[in-house]
Amino acid sequence: MKFDILIAGVGGQGVVLASRLLATAAMDAGFHVATAETIGMAQREGSVTSHVRIGDDVCGSLIPQGKADLLIGLEPAEAARNLIFLGKDGNMVVNEYAIMPSTQGCGEYNPEKILEFLKDSCPGTITADFTKLAKDAGTYKAANVAMIAAAAGAGLLPFSQEYLWGVLEKMIPEKYRDVNRRVFDMAIESVSGKTGKETAKDQ
Amino acid sequence: MTSKRILMGNEAIAFGAIKAGVQIASGYPGTPSSEVMETIISHAKEYGIYAEWATNEKVALETAVGAAYSGANAIVTMKQVGLNVASDPLMSLSYLGVKGSLVILVSDDPGPHSSQTEQDTRAFGHFSNIPVFDPSTPQEAYDMTKLAFELSHAMETPVILRTTTRVSHGCADVLIEEINPVSRDIEGFTKDTRWTIFPKLITQRHPLLEELQIRMSDNFSEYFNHNSFNSVSKGSSNIGIAASGVSSLYAREAIKDCQGIFSLFKAGTAYPFPEKAAYEFMKDITDLIVVEELDPYMEEQFLQIAGKYHLDINIHGKKSGSFPVSGEYDVDVAIEGINHALDKIGSESCCLSHSGAAVKAEDIPPLPIRAPTLCAGCMHRTVFYAFKKAAAKLRSQTGIDSVFSGDIGCYTLGNARPLNMVNTCLCMGAGISIAAGLSHTQEFSSGQEAKQVAFIGDSTFFHSGIAAVVSAVYNSADITIAVLDNHTTAMTGHQPHPGIGVTAMGSPAQIIDIAEVLKSCGVRMVKTIEADDLDKCIDIAGEAMQFEGPSAVVFKGRCVAICKGTGQYIVDEDKCIGCNLCINQFGCPAIFSMSSGLPVIQDTCSGCGLCAQICPSDAIVPKEVSQ
Repeated sequence: MKFDILIAGVGGQGVVLASRLLATAAMDAGFHVATAETIGMAQREGSVTSHVRIGDDVCGSLIPQGKADLLIGLEPAEAARNLIFLGKDGNMVVNEYAIMPSTQGCGEYNPEKILEFLKDSCPGTITADFTKLAKDAGTYKAANVAMIAAAAGAGLLPFSQEYLWGVLEKMIPEKYRDVNRRVFDMAIESVSGKTGKETAKDQ
Repeated sequence: MTSKRILMGNEAIAFGAIKAGVQIASGYPGTPSSEVMETIISHAKEYGIYAEWATNEKVALETAVGAAYSGANAIVTMKQVGLNVASDPLMSLSYLGVKGSLVILVSDDPGPHSSQTEQDTRAFGHFSNIPVFDPSTPQEAYDMTKLAFELSHAMETPVILRTTTRVSHGCADVLIEEINPVSRDIEGFTKDTRWTIFPKLITQRHPLLEELQIRMSDNFSEYFNHNSFNSVSKGSSNIGIAASGVSSLYAREAIKDCQGIFSLFKAGTAYPFPEKAAYEFMKDITDLIVVEELDPYMEEQFLQIAGKYHLDINIHGKKSGSFPVSGEYDVDVAIEGINHALDKIGSESCCLSHSGAAVKAEDIPPLPIRAPTLCAGCMHRTVFYAFKKAAAKLRSQTGIDSVFSGDIGCYTLGNARPLNMVNTCLCMGAGISIAAGLSHTQEFSSGQEAKQVAFIGDSTFFHSGIAAVVSAVYNSADITIAVLDNHTTAMTGHQPHPGIGVTAMGSPAQIIDIAEVLKSCGVRMVKTIEADDLDKCIDIAGEAMQFEGPSAVVFKGRCVAICKGTGQYIVDEDKCIGCNLCINQFGCPAIFSMSSGLPVIQDTCSGCGLCAQICPSDAIVPKEVSQ
């Protein structure tokens, strides 16, 4: 078994935590796991990615181009930036909430167009405003948890959502547990009936 | 009893050190090395370890050396450029050796992701005659750390454990043993001429040091028989592939469809190079492909052995043009390089292929560039902007221009648009000395006079700023020093430093006051100000720049990444005139311009109010007031 997940976002969105949660759940489910994270200067509002490689064998932590089975984009442009990593049969879960670049002269950014491009490139892509979902549940900061829960809910992970919640329960401090449970449940509810590529194929 | 845990490579190293019985730990933070010390610190009390953050890497190494002279098990941690700072004690230490054990953790940063250089610590091991271990995974990092302590004690030499970013900052499932607190008796320091370096001592020690290199090289060749860090496997062709560290995993994945064709050579012991094992491997093949990041270090070792033993072998790597000479490697780079070499060899045996991506890179539409920038509400933005304004005023009043020398830390990001406030940046502590050097030339593009300003952070000030201040004052350099004191070592993960009043272990400590240090160094104008009122900051920046001779301002604030914000601001659309000054002047990541042309402040606002202070129509107001 080999399953590669790439998580892309902007520094501060919780990409590193999302990859730790997935990696720990994968280990609990009995797999070897290797992650590569962006830590340091690039974290300061820059483009960041985490690679999570799950499987039966130990391997290097960087996913080769075209090998990712799942791309989780916490931001539309960041999902698009990393699309070269997604395999032809790969799935994608993308947050519709766009983060506009602060610095002037960074080029035009039309998130709607990028979302269209993503859906065209990868039929069956699951998109939703997970930041709004998290905010409605209590904190916009839990968009990362919402997205990995959505991936689990849509059956896009190589382990069940119980492993994921088990890890969240262990790793999230008690005072934030209730809000994360709400985010987790709402995200799973939001993707009910969606199953990524399979749905696309059925249509 | 062993247990499996998800650990970052750096955490695995810390647990390896604790398991090996480390008693003293020192270091200076630096990406990607910092979590080794942080993990040791968080377990220090539990296992009776003394752990500290030193003011810089030289001091950290010397502290660990002292402990090791006493017979203690010591570790010192730093990033690759930190080893440059520590190189003075390092170069002398190899002649003297140690008594207890000393492991030097050095993290290299191919890319680089968060560093000034792409230097290779394997070469530093060669240069300083200190053995280097090069783990490829967090599991190997854990196991090698334990072995490094053993080897250091057995051979009475310091041992470098060299990681790269992907090993240090990657997480994996790691099997670790149960760690029990053990008795920590340290033998104690024994007076011996061995500890006092002197030309005569070095003439005695140097031959022994060279002899030790040969013994260790032979020892590491032996590892191929029983230690998984060093391994060889035989393939069906006359082509071999050699790699060390994380590159060995990239190489293995690159050739997985052609398994069995290539002979493989993996060395976790980078220096001294296991020459005997390498020779045995080379004599049975006609072509050798070397996959390694950073320097062509292994490639040069193989070339040397080929020359020494007159082997009829072609060696393909960076020097032969098959592999990139710089940058981080991955599986795709390994495939490209191996294919390039196979093409040169004229091998019919196989050609490696990349996986097909869902979308080609050229089909992705243009995307916004998202360069790293100062956080929303960062105090550095206020200070940079204040100096920008003060410099503009100075230029308009006197025609004198200003040059801004930066330093290493979050505030290097002051170079980003639209601030553009870092004109030079070289290495830790260099800002002040470079500003001094510029001031002594008294000239700025075609003989124009220029005012020199140096920015330096609080932790960097203690690291290597003080000697530069003393030299600037002593030599009457006309510079202004702006200390950006956010009360933490922010970029590397908020470690404490001597200005804070607490040690790494959490004990109260004497606060070393930066303004008092500046005064005692002879800086005549020293001012301290909170960096929250922009107008006051502009005034004091202007005053300092116009002061004749060395002047300094300590700007104080709190890092927004660890301190709760003070509420949020919003734009009152009725008052906003759409001038977008708030966007164009700062590059604050919390503000962006909507398609309507009006600015919007996002949830990431931490309430510094800097934008409100320059809004000409008072349209930026605290959130609660407007609601």
